[in-house]
Amino acid sequence: MLFNSFHFFVFFVIVTTLYFILPHSKRWLLLLASSCYFYMAFVPIYILILGFTIIVDYFAGILIEKSQGRRRKLFLIFSLVANIGVLAVFKYYNFINTNLSFLLQGFGLTNPLPYLAILLPIGLSFHTFQAMSYTIEVYRGNQKAERHFGIYSLYVMFYPQLVAGPIERPQNLLHQFREKHQPDFENFSEGLKLMIWGLFKKLVIADRLAIYVNSVYNNVAEHNGMTLLLATMFFSVQIYCDFSGYSDIAIGAARVMGFRLMINFNRPYFSKNIAEFWRRWHISLSTWFKDYLYISIGGNKVTIHRWYFNLLVVFLVSGLWHGANWTFIIWGCINGLYLVFALVTQGLRNKLNQLTRVKEIPKINASIQVLATYILVCFAWIFFRANNIQDAFTIIKKIFLLKGEIYSESSSMMFYSFAGILFLLLVEFKKEYFNSLFTLSNNNHWLVPKLYYCFLILMILLIGVFDGGQFIYFQF
Amino acid sequence: MIKKAQSDKKKNWKHFLLNGVVFLVLIILFDFILGQLLQYYYFKIKSGTQYRTTYAIEKTKADIIIFGSSRAMDHYNPFVFENRYNLSYYNAGRDGENSVLYHYAVLKGILKRYTPKIVILDMMPNEFANTSESYDKLAALSPYYNTHPEMRPILDLRSRTEKIKMLSGTYPFNSTIMNIISGNFGLDDKKYIKGYYAIASSYMITKPLETDDKSKVYQLDSIKVNVLKWFINDCKRANIKLYIVCSPIYTKFIGTDYSIVAAEKIAADNNISFFDFSQESPFLESPKLFYNSLHLNDSGARIFSNMLIDKIFLKENTQ
Repeated sequence: MLFNSFHFFVFFVIVTTLYFILPHSKRWLLLLASSCYFYMAFVPIYILILGFTIIVDYFAGILIEKSQGRRRKLFLIFSLVANIGVLAVFKYYNFINTNLSFLLQGFGLTNPLPYLAILLPIGLSFHTFQAMSYTIEVYRGNQKAERHFGIYSLYVMFYPQLVAGPIERPQNLLHQFREKHQPDFENFSEGLKLMIWGLFKKLVIADRLAIYVNSVYNNVAEHNGMTLLLATMFFSVQIYCDFSGYSDIAIGAARVMGFRLMINFNRPYFSKNIAEFWRRWHISLSTWFKDYLYISIGGNKVTIHRWYFNLLVVFLVSGLWHGANWTFIIWGCINGLYLVFALVTQGLRNKLNQLTRVKEIPKINASIQVLATYILVCFAWIFFRANNIQDAFTIIKKIFLLKGEIYSESSSMMFYSFAGILFLLLVEFKKEYFNSLFTLSNNNHWLVPKLYYCFLILMILLIGVFDGGQFIYFQF
Repeated sequence: MIKKAQSDKKKNWKHFLLNGVVFLVLIILFDFILGQLLQYYYFKIKSGTQYRTTYAIEKTKADIIIFGSSRAMDHYNPFVFENRYNLSYYNAGRDGENSVLYHYAVLKGILKRYTPKIVILDMMPNEFANTSESYDKLAALSPYYNTHPEMRPILDLRSRTEKIKMLSGTYPFNSTIMNIISGNFGLDDKKYIKGYYAIASSYMITKPLETDDKSKVYQLDSIKVNVLKWFINDCKRANIKLYIVCSPIYTKFIGTDYSIVAAEKIAADNNISFFDFSQESPFLESPKLFYNSLHLNDSGARIFSNMLIDKIFLKENTQ
């Protein structure tokens, strides 16, 4: 079930109404049943995979808590292997197999392993990571093992964040299922506002830009450098609006019922460096990697070369998390290299800053940094969006030649695209730099916020794309 | 203490309900006003694609009507048809609308008003392919949903919730605002001759592409197949001479397209003439008759229109 469907609208209204009508003791059951229904609306059979990880991690959590020493670690490893095993089979098996065949071919050998005709279960990487965070936190002693099987299942399956996050931590989410939420005007209002803004970003901006991006990126050979550059910039906005739009709807839908999910995006394109970008982009995943991988392998409390290595490993795994394709792996590596490069050249850049005295004009300095970060991020996005590595290199080559006229299927399409981007830029710029100034969405006058959200809804109806389909991050 | 909590709860609910009602009223009101404005200006458009569609549905009284996609719009030269038939002509072909669903909805709109003498339906290879795209593209006819109830059964095929979405005043005019502005201010300078669009330039490639794509088996969309049957039945019932045509394409097919085979069979079963020019010479030998692999230029359109009429006359004389 897609958030941008009429089906979801009806589902949301029914579930929310029932949630507040039912006595507190029965609410978990309603949420669990509705989450199952929500997930089964995609491919019903895949709920069995979810069921498998839930059962494994539920018992693993209890056993970890009850055990000491090696046994404790053993149960954790068992849980992690089960979770990563599911990911390996459904997400990476065919990728590894294809690459193995290619490698063996080089030695004149045939790969005996068969190709599995399996579809990737929707949102598999998200709920697997959320489940893993539970057993790790129980192991670390930061979270008590959940004895209520229904509540634990709900932690993994809570429908607003089931298929594309935010990837929650048990300390933040589990206890909320036991809290008695009263219908609250502020929660309703803030939740619905977030949902409308998320829908606006998805339907008016992301899906509109997707039309241009798809037509260009799916025919790389036929387009020139200027067009590919524009399509890449469009993609940077598309993926942001698509994913942050989803997160907003998820956080908003949960908030209406009184649940507080972690924020996932914090205007990442205003970052002044790549490290900051990753603190603002897909925050729930970045912090997951930081908490459970980066720190586990030593973080920055190691030798300098090991530190660089740790960063590269984290970003390589992050690339792989996004998809079983070399394009994602390269995308991850590029981001890792950016960070290593930034560390290596820190001294040099400081000297350069002193020489040019650019720091004495902070606004210009900040603008240059934001622009440079955006360009670097866009460059990496080429690999993320390209259909294959060959296409990605063709795109880069053509962009550097920067020849030709910009392709435009229709002037109205371009107008809607640029109007959407401009509106987003205005809203985000204002929030980033002038947040204390006037506000339309939270204005003190009772009518102003209503008119603002009426405007957003009318814009969705007027220029939103209603056939755009699913969210990009569902495939991960 | 308990009383105070209860009273706060009541206040909270009152506050929420009041705000919710005000918000809903505002949305309904603005949606209605904007919808009315859009409808008024949409039907006042004086040029461009939307004008041509409205003209075909609401105004034309032409004897010959051409249905199809941009290929129909570019391939059937009005002068040739009017001179040789001595009948009036209008081309209702529309860019990107390569599905019989769209054509049937427009035919319904036209038949509600008058009965043309001849209808030519230009179809594409892959016409009956099972894709959601052709259903999505019915959105181009959403502005007519409320004013032309005869088109609704087809437009409702777009989605199960279409009926509910159409309760909105604004939604039927989704993505048309720029066309409404340019159409009302005459900013759309594309010149059409009775709906026909003449292309002057020629294709630069000297050899047609070869593809075996067309010989691949694909599942036919049963709804689209049925809609073609309804199209034929409506024309037969109204005593309209219907010709189904697959006009030239600058691509060599190895094998025959499944949709073409299906359409040819349906036409034969219903005693309707079907002409397949997709692999016909001289077109495959003459890139200069094309603008690109899918579209003839004006010279190509003249030759094709004459060839088609020759074939129609020949067939009718031999029957």
